[in-house]
Amino acid sequence: MEKQHHIQLLPGDIGETVFLPGDVSRAKIIADHFDSAELVASSRQYNTFTGMYKGVKVSVTSTGIGSAAAAIAIEELVKVGAKNLIRIGTGGMMQTWLPNPAILVITGAVCGDGLTREYFPKGFPAVADFHTVESMLASAEELGIEVHAGYEWSHDAFYAGSTLSKLNILEIEKPWIDAGVLIASQEASTVLTLATARKVRGGVILASAGCHQYPDKGATPEEMVMAISNATKISLETAVKLHALDHGK
Amino acid sequence: MNQETPHRQHHINLLPGEAAPTILVPGDPGRVKLFAELMDEAWKVTEKREYITYTGKKDGVLISCTSSGLGPSPTAIGVEEFIRIGTKNIIRVGTCGALQPFMKAGDIIIVTGAVRGERCTEEFISIDYPAIADYRIVRASIDACERLGLTYHLGLVRTHDAFYLESPWAHGDYKARLQKWVDLGVLAVENECATMLVVASMQGVRAGTILLSSDPIFGEGENDPDLEKHKRDLVRVGIETAKILHEMGLD
Repeated sequence: MEKQHHIQLLPGDIGETVFLPGDVSRAKIIADHFDSAELVASSRQYNTFTGMYKGVKVSVTSTGIGSAAAAIAIEELVKVGAKNLIRIGTGGMMQTWLPNPAILVITGAVCGDGLTREYFPKGFPAVADFHTVESMLASAEELGIEVHAGYEWSHDAFYAGSTLSKLNILEIEKPWIDAGVLIASQEASTVLTLATARKVRGGVILASAGCHQYPDKGATPEEMVMAISNATKISLETAVKLHALDHGK
Repeated sequence: MNQETPHRQHHINLLPGEAAPTILVPGDPGRVKLFAELMDEAWKVTEKREYITYTGKKDGVLISCTSSGLGPSPTAIGVEEFIRIGTKNIIRVGTCGALQPFMKAGDIIIVTGAVRGERCTEEFISIDYPAIADYRIVRASIDACERLGLTYHLGLVRTHDAFYLESPWAHGDYKARLQKWVDLGVLAVENECATMLVVASMQGVRAGTILLSSDPIFGEGENDPDLEKHKRDLVRVGIETAKILHEMGLD
């Protein structure tokens, strides 16, 4: 098999669990949490590190921003052997009752993006893999990290639906806020639906960078570093649990 | 009508406190009596239109069962009214047409999410919103099947309006119509699940769906000779799931 067109990876280059940050620089930050890690490919915005964590081979590939780039990464990662795709990202919180920053285990997503509309029939649900959700919640509890479970509103236009938008975002987001959707971001619908269609596991864990209803009260950079680190720790323990589920201890 | 003061709900005819925190919801009003038979004790609470409610006890746990009738419209009414009387867990226990070739008559399907092929919930919220089962009900349903030693499949189903387009009794080439759902890995087709999941989840209420593969369309077991036993198994899974939710402190 030739190297995959965009991610430049071959079978064997990655572990069964691959973490998917959007931010290119965050691939290295996540890999620094492994017991060992080395850069195996760097092409466009797709940086991949592979290493070991508690005896399990794990990888991280940065996807860049948005559903189009994330879908390319997922299609190609599945072809080279990925079985568990876990996005670790950030987003803008939509509910007022959550702490900030909060760490959110995503159980499902609103498909407000164009990619899932192109791939799937109308009404196809973006559902997180059940065992991945359970493993994330159990790992968070073991680590003593507070998490909340719920939905993401996935959409394409950051400068339409974020605190930096010139539009009235609370009006745009009202149906989702009223329905209890926790956070706005861009990739969960893609990760969850494509994982379902390719018969692999899909999961998403997010740190909220601020709340759309209180745009002046963003998390500090130090708080975000801590929140992303905690989301990474939960994801690594999740990889260990999924490995045990599939292959025994 | 004032929606704030507790009152007898317009269709299900129940007051707050007249049903248990967990309600099992078959489509078929006849199946409510099967529920009553399988409980240690059960009594009829009310009956109006297609909504028949029994409440009972199994191993000390209070559980209710209300039929929804067939299709999204009465299901959406039932779920909305269950929420208005304070119900905590709403669980559909129904039949379906199984789509995957590996599925057999009598298998249980635990739904994680549903394709919104029906029109009803689009009146409530955009089609972009997902129909997803509450993960705690999924866990309780899995544990219930394992306790009862029943084969189950975890995954997506398709909910739609027109039974006579996508069932073994349908007009024309129904298998061709269903093939795209088979290819997407969808486990079964039925008429109520997505409606229940959307109406409940958008109001923060837990809902789930447990289905019986009663009419495998591409697999084995058309005209299942053990259908009545399998329907009892389905209701037993529902009752066990309600008991486990009680043990989890979720009712």
